Amino acid sequence: MVKTRRAGVRSGARSEAVAGWLFITPAVAHTLVFMAAPAVGALLLSFSQWDMTSAPTWAGLDNYRAVLFDRDLYPDFLVAVRVTAYYALLAVPASLLTGFVQAYLIDAVRRGQGVFRLAFYLPMITAEAAVAAIWKWLYDPQFGLINGLLGVFGAEGPDWLGEPAMVVPALALIAAWQSGTAMIIFLAGLKGIPRNLYEAAEVDGARRRDQLLRITIPLLRPTTFYLVITGVIGALQVFGLVYVLFGRDIGGPESAGLTYVLQLYVTGFRDGEMGAASAMSFLLFAVTIMVTALQFRLLRREPA
Amino acid sequence: MTRHRAAARPPAVMRAFATLVLVAGALVAMAPFVWMIATSFKQPQDVFTPTPQLLPLSSETGAWAGTFDNYLAVFDIDGFTRAFVNSVLVVVVLVPAKVLLAAMAGYAFARIRFPGRDRVFAMILATIMLPGVALLVPKVFLTQELGMGDSLSGLIVPSLVSAFDIFLFRQFFLTLPQELEEAAKIDGAGWWLIFRKLALPLAKPALAVVTITAFIFHWNDFLWPLVILTDQEKYTLPLALQALASGRVAQPHLVMAGAVVAVMPVVAVFLIFQRRILDGIQFTGLK
Amino acid sequence: MKVTPALALSVLALVAVSCGDTGGSATSQAATVDFWYYQPTPQQADKVKRLAKDFETANPGLKIKLTEIPKDDYNTKIATALNGGNGPDAGYLDQPQMARFAGGRQIAAVPARTIDESAYYEGALETNRVSGTLYGVPLQQTTVVLFYNKDYVQTPPATWDQLVAESERVHRENPKVAGVALPKGDGFGAWIFPAFVASAGGTMVDENARKVTFNSPQGQEALGLWRTLLASSPRKITNTDQAFQKGLAAMTFSGPWDVLGIREQFPQLKFGTALLPKKLEDASTIGGENGVVFSTADNPDGAWKWLKFLSSADHNAEFADITGNFPVNRAAAAKSTLAGDQDMKIVIDQLQSARSRPALPEWIKVNDEFIAKAIEEGVDGGRSPAEALDTAAVRAAKALGW
Repeated sequence: MVKTRRAGVRSGARSEAVAGWLFITPAVAHTLVFMAAPAVGALLLSFSQWDMTSAPTWAGLDNYRAVLFDRDLYPDFLVAVRVTAYYALLAVPASLLTGFVQAYLIDAVRRGQGVFRLAFYLPMITAEAAVAAIWKWLYDPQFGLINGLLGVFGAEGPDWLGEPAMVVPALALIAAWQSGTAMIIFLAGLKGIPRNLYEAAEVDGARRRDQLLRITIPLLRPTTFYLVITGVIGALQVFGLVYVLFGRDIGGPESAGLTYVLQLYVTGFRDGEMGAASAMSFLLFAVTIMVTALQFRLLRREPA
Repeated sequence: MTRHRAAARPPAVMRAFATLVLVAGALVAMAPFVWMIATSFKQPQDVFTPTPQLLPLSSETGAWAGTFDNYLAVFDIDGFTRAFVNSVLVVVVLVPAKVLLAAMAGYAFARIRFPGRDRVFAMILATIMLPGVALLVPKVFLTQELGMGDSLSGLIVPSLVSAFDIFLFRQFFLTLPQELEEAAKIDGAGWWLIFRKLALPLAKPALAVVTITAFIFHWNDFLWPLVILTDQEKYTLPLALQALASGRVAQPHLVMAGAVVAVMPVVAVFLIFQRRILDGIQFTGLK
Repeated sequence: MKVTPALALSVLALVAVSCGDTGGSATSQAATVDFWYYQPTPQQADKVKRLAKDFETANPGLKIKLTEIPKDDYNTKIATALNGGNGPDAGYLDQPQMARFAGGRQIAAVPARTIDESAYYEGALETNRVSGTLYGVPLQQTTVVLFYNKDYVQTPPATWDQLVAESERVHRENPKVAGVALPKGDGFGAWIFPAFVASAGGTMVDENARKVTFNSPQGQEALGLWRTLLASSPRKITNTDQAFQKGLAAMTFSGPWDVLGIREQFPQLKFGTALLPKKLEDASTIGGENGVVFSTADNPDGAWKWLKFLSSADHNAEFADITGNFPVNRAAAAKSTLAGDQDMKIVIDQLQSARSRPALPEWIKVNDEFIAKAIEEGVDGGRSPAEALDTAAVRAAKALGW
């Protein structure tokens, strides 16, 4: 009796193990083929020279050296880095601030929360190709809605996508429009703040502004932090938007809208320099890892 | 999630003020869509007006001049019908398969005990950190080597598994009570049966979030189709829209009609499932 | 969610999708000619399909499979497909790409006695020659002329000085109208720029001496001219799409495709064409597509037949008309519906002085990245034309390996 039960348990454990592996096999196989293999491939390619017309040749660190330091072969690489950093610097705070204000106000009203949530989230689910097509038309210097409205008020709008200095701010404005994710997550954060904290503050006679500064904002720090990190990682990868906005004029006037991934795409898929493009990929990967690591470090320091 | 009653409700005056600001904000947020739709119904000669003109009025007579022609035109000549069908094919095939594979793996990682489980899970989790762009170049050539270059299967197969979705399902299944499954196990039910009949029906909230976000993501995806597809006959909607917007002769009335076609299915799905999705996003913190 | 039906459905659909769409280039049968090309508009694609039908009727047993690819991605897509072993039999190739593909042995030399070389305009034919060997057949050609709006410009300027004066006058009299819709610092602008360098008496490169020459004084004068024109041609006016067509710019530099485009879409615009204003000599830039057969073609014989058909006296005019370009076949040129057209006559005249681009494998990168950047910096930006061009020349020399 005892013996058979043991055997049953053992065969049960075996069949459980078989079932478990069967359940995950598709996912694991796919991950090996489409994630692990390309990751190794990307690393190898980044040390090779390959223009797709002949076999790749080993190039050691040449690609990294050329991409990082050779301004003649890759004149726009640092431009792309600068544009992307500047974009992240403007776009992340713009969308976070907008999202926070929206969430704070929505949390304060009684009626129509659902409608407002919806209105502010819709820009988020719009295809980036469509976002670009729409804003290109909004930003048209002569017939666009934005300069048209400014004209009604007697102001003369800039050539948003035509003046180098205006390009990144114009992109950041689009990011502010796409504040939906920040709004939703801030809203969740706001709802997670224990109510009695406010009540206690009320008893102590704290005004609303003090409550906002002393309770709401400090307690939203982890939320904000999460949004900053994911926002920065997203900002480092902007592609479709600028690709469609500037069309044939890749990167826009004086490359003011040449984002990192656009530069990567041009290097690999227009100029056919796959080795250099892979090196750029890995540099981006390294930066992403650093940003993520920073998140974990700072979060750990954060008191729970 | 428990229904939340905001702490220390602000007084009525402030609520009214907040509502006012929100209404103004919502109008601003919606303006690009309104302008898109308005332009899409205009005739070409009425598009370029010196002052913004919301309604499709004739620029010469001021009479109503709205038209559906732009939609007929994009569907007729500009390959949007084909692109629409391609987009539908891709999401119809890809999304259910992707959700199912993620649910299966997520369930196994949460519930089934087998050797190597945690190590494998850690490996899959680690891939979340890899930005898709970093693998772009080798993934393109791999897909071509597998004979899926320039084909819709090249859009589908490489995207079948998402580590993030697996993670989400695992976390979700971990929160479910285990008693029912234990009872079923004692009754001798197999794992597949338990997964299908017990676990999946309980996982509806997670299924909804993952399904809808996968649908939105792949319907809108731009970079991967751009590098994989060559033949314009195989274009998905975002690429067709890009081609339309960057033609030698750009025409806002046609481009905006195309944009409406590309945007509307997502908006429709979103409107239907919005509460589920927004709550889900709040819950999971996912984009 | 019902799992089994959903799963079955996905698997089925997956199979359907893969069967449906891999039947393309990889498995082309012996009798099919897979032809890749790029097209500005879908209407034109329909007309090319009709032309292919005519070919199939005339050549029973041969089928043409047309694949349209966006122009901007064409060169990469071709290179990727050839590398992946599923390239087409034949296709377009932009003139400056000939050297790169011939060097990589990816395109086949034209077999002897396939075409009669004397039937073609020499300029267009020569863009197919790499180190003495003919690698393709010219299909159509194009060039750039001056377009002017008759509401603002009565007599088109013939010289650079007149061009500047006219641009300034128009903008002074109509502050909301730009003198010229000036090319931007992109690949297209960089393609037009050599016309002005040549007009000043300069060249882009000296291939024999392996020396970049576009930063010569003549090159600087050309870029300087654009910089001068910018003062009376604000980008803010011309950055709207089709500024010239909408009457927001009095003049522009463009090609025959716009003659047709404007007549079709902006019938109310009263415009004329003229030779590009010159400094020392008449000059323009030549463009157009060559037809090549790839070395991996399954059906090279059929492919050459198709290319010959497209460039023949009987069909080249129709083909060029469809794409808004100019025939390459002399006999066909006479038959073109545009032959008697006043504006097209200007295009023909301009073609006499049009120069082709250097046949160098790296020229696309030099054109699209270095020269385009020099235009941005030297015309719109804060650098002098000399500085901007010098930098571009150093970069070009490095990329060319000189």
